[in-house]
Amino acid sequence: MMTFEQFRDACFRLALEKGCENAEVYATSSDGFSVNVLNAEIIKYAIERDKGLNLRVLYEGKTGYAYTEVFEDPETLVAHAIDNAKAIENTDANPMQGACEYPEITVKPNPVVDLSEEEKIDLALAMERDTLAYDARVNRMGYCSVDTGVAETHISNTLGLNANSKERYSYAVLAPILRDGEEEHESYSFKFGPEMTNYDSLIRESIENALMQFHASAVDSGEYRILLRNDAAGDLLSGFSSMFFAEHVQKGLSLLSGKLGERIASPAITILDDPFEADNPRAFDAEGVPSVLTTVVENGVLKSYLYNLKTALKDGVASTSNAGRMGAGGAVTTAPSNFYIAKGEKSFDELKAALGNGLIITELSGLHAGLNPISGDFSLIAKGQLVENGGIVRSVDQITIAGNFLTMMQSIEATGADLRFGPPGAGRIGCPSLLISKLVVSGK
Amino acid sequence: MIKSSIVNAVLDEALKTGGDFSELYLQDSEVNSVRMIDGKVEDANYQRKVGAGVRVLKGTRSAYAYTADTSEAALIACAKAAASALKGTKEFEAKKICVDRIGRSWAKIPFSEIDNAKRIALMRAGTNAAKAYSDEITQVVANYMDCDHRTWIYNSEGVHAEDRRPRVRTAIQAVAMANGEAQTGICSPGYGMGFEMYGEKVNIEDVGREAAKTAVTMLHAPECPAGKVPVMIDGGFGGVILHEACVHGLEATSVGRGNSVFCGKLGQQIASPIVNAVDDGTLPGEWGSMHFDDEGNPAQCNRLIENGILKTYLVDILGSRLMNHPVTGSGRRQNYTFAPTSRMTNTFFAPGKDDEEEMLRTMGDGLFAAKMGGGSVNPLTGEFNFAVGEGYWVKDGKILCPVRGATLIGKGAEVLMKIDRIGKNMWMAPGMCGSLSGSIPTNVGQPRIRVSEIVVGGKGGAL
Repeated sequence: MMTFEQFRDACFRLALEKGCENAEVYATSSDGFSVNVLNAEIIKYAIERDKGLNLRVLYEGKTGYAYTEVFEDPETLVAHAIDNAKAIENTDANPMQGACEYPEITVKPNPVVDLSEEEKIDLALAMERDTLAYDARVNRMGYCSVDTGVAETHISNTLGLNANSKERYSYAVLAPILRDGEEEHESYSFKFGPEMTNYDSLIRESIENALMQFHASAVDSGEYRILLRNDAAGDLLSGFSSMFFAEHVQKGLSLLSGKLGERIASPAITILDDPFEADNPRAFDAEGVPSVLTTVVENGVLKSYLYNLKTALKDGVASTSNAGRMGAGGAVTTAPSNFYIAKGEKSFDELKAALGNGLIITELSGLHAGLNPISGDFSLIAKGQLVENGGIVRSVDQITIAGNFLTMMQSIEATGADLRFGPPGAGRIGCPSLLISKLVVSGK
Repeated sequence: MIKSSIVNAVLDEALKTGGDFSELYLQDSEVNSVRMIDGKVEDANYQRKVGAGVRVLKGTRSAYAYTADTSEAALIACAKAAASALKGTKEFEAKKICVDRIGRSWAKIPFSEIDNAKRIALMRAGTNAAKAYSDEITQVVANYMDCDHRTWIYNSEGVHAEDRRPRVRTAIQAVAMANGEAQTGICSPGYGMGFEMYGEKVNIEDVGREAAKTAVTMLHAPECPAGKVPVMIDGGFGGVILHEACVHGLEATSVGRGNSVFCGKLGQQIASPIVNAVDDGTLPGEWGSMHFDDEGNPAQCNRLIENGILKTYLVDILGSRLMNHPVTGSGRRQNYTFAPTSRMTNTFFAPGKDDEEEMLRTMGDGLFAAKMGGGSVNPLTGEFNFAVGEGYWVKDGKILCPVRGATLIGKGAEVLMKIDRIGKNMWMAPGMCGSLSGSIPTNVGQPRIRVSEIVVGGKGGAL
């Protein structure tokens, strides 16, 4: 078998020989370790080694892709890519990034990755032990795992682009199952990066979230004032983030088409896409374009869409460094970097007082099905708490909340100071808690 | 794909630290995909995924290692990595391969005989049919996929199983817009067949029209009222209610660790007596079918519920050790990067005896869910949710008007007991199911059914 470099160079040479104007490879590899424990025993232990090469060629102005995980037979791969380029009927230009300089980024050190396997296993076992000891109602673990690894990305092309990154990741997942009488509840919590060794806050959070689900019932159907907690708000924003992609706007798949410069949200809302955010910085996107900070919404006014090279050229603007990939083997598409609603000034307790009478929503599920980024509509199963006169009365479950994302964005009264980010990687979404003047609740 | 001497060396290496079972899984798959937007091909892609995974079991402990490198040295290293989870000394030898199970592709027209021109012609026909349905259709997105998925499984009990699973699917999504509002409709048939699906099973123009019809209908529909009402769910993808509300809770993944509302319920009434439910992986050419599962066991027809009584769980090899329950041919995984676990195949409510018109006439006020979207479930509590793609409000037993934005929620154990009608004609529809071992193709199905009450989430007022 050929080495990666031999295979890549052979692909470039063959592509140019066969008449391609440019050729580019997007190569990924990773080396990961994962351990899952239950009852003080390892129940799952995994060693993960991935590699793959995605070839993109420019042939008669069109791009075609082919991906492989075996570095042999470059002729077949190039032939597939050219064949796929010939199939393209869209007439938009397909630019590729050439040689360029990248901004310096500072990545926080992550010593967890360098722990020995034994130390990582001990960490998972200790997490389980301490969770079980935290509260008498913790009956068992639904999930308790430690994952670490190194993921490398290499992008190069015949225009001289050469971009390389190496990401060291780690995360812990905890899901204690609590029992009280006949009722059982579970809550998943995650912690990413070097802070995961200090897991007390993770345990506290997962147990508090599980306890909140006991003795819950539905509320009457009707309109309610809503305080959407930061994590649930982030899940909702994540589901609708594609409305801001120029790709979707240009294809008539976003209601934000033609809205640049218009007020699309309450003045309390500012949305940023910040590739330099301290906990998940990146120097370039999935096309090798140097990172830039983008203000997407400023005080409620839509300022920019998210662009890759192709969609930027079509609109006559610069790429916002938001190229993404649909998996290692997929085509270039759009992905946010660290995409978030900027935090406000009020604490969660102050927002609760401002809510007065209404519902705190702490969890939303079924986001892959119950929301539609084209229509903006959502109707989602939710959990939370009933609030009267600024005080929590009881827990609530078996309800749905429904609305339209754009209408909801106009009716946000305040944002909290509690900005929180979801999982790292491409498309990391952050949100503070949001005080919303009205959503429809279905229950009893 | 690989020499038997290498297989034995890998299986033996994996047992060196005290494991009692080892397994080598090899995969070689080719996927072609084409995306068409607004009648123009936007992307075309070819992906070849090749890799191997080695699993070691010792009792109910499991270790898994995988690699994208299938050379002999890499496979031995992979076996060593999996074995390193255990710290013991060798207790078992791998048996020589003595059972051969070969599953042959159902494809009559393999995808290697198809070129992009044929794929594109289909998508164009589907797109044109969607656009021709109405002037209100403003955009059409068509996604074509064909996949030739080949697997080789060897284990230390002497089993060798190979399977070759063709899959083909096109999804057409239509968007209808007017007055600053947008609604969508999607239709996405798929089968475990070759390219002959087009013609034998699927008329692509019908697919385009169906997607367009939903989008246009929903554009003119008021918001669905919120509340707890009777719901009639049509056949086909309506079977997602069985998938989410019940059968995820019958998988060893949750039952084996005591984390399902259906634990300890074998032989007990868990559903209304008119309910019969089946998971059948053997149906030739269906989206969720296979000859052998991803642990090398033959696919089975599993009768899950008979007359409301729970008859079996869905169990993989690890699950059978945890539960002392025979395996059910349910070990599945997305690809070599996942260890297998218990999963569904083609899962459906069997046909019942009820009249579809009577069901509507006697339901009073409620919702008719003609097309369902996806959903999810928490197996521990049985709390499920799913979206309604095309719904109609029913008043006094008659369809009043279409309604948009509905979601159904409830608890599986409760809703199964509230099924009061099951129609006579069952059909299935394909989906992708996500769980611990990745995203896999599964069919859901049912005849038209009725549930006496269920919470309908929407944002509309009374109609």
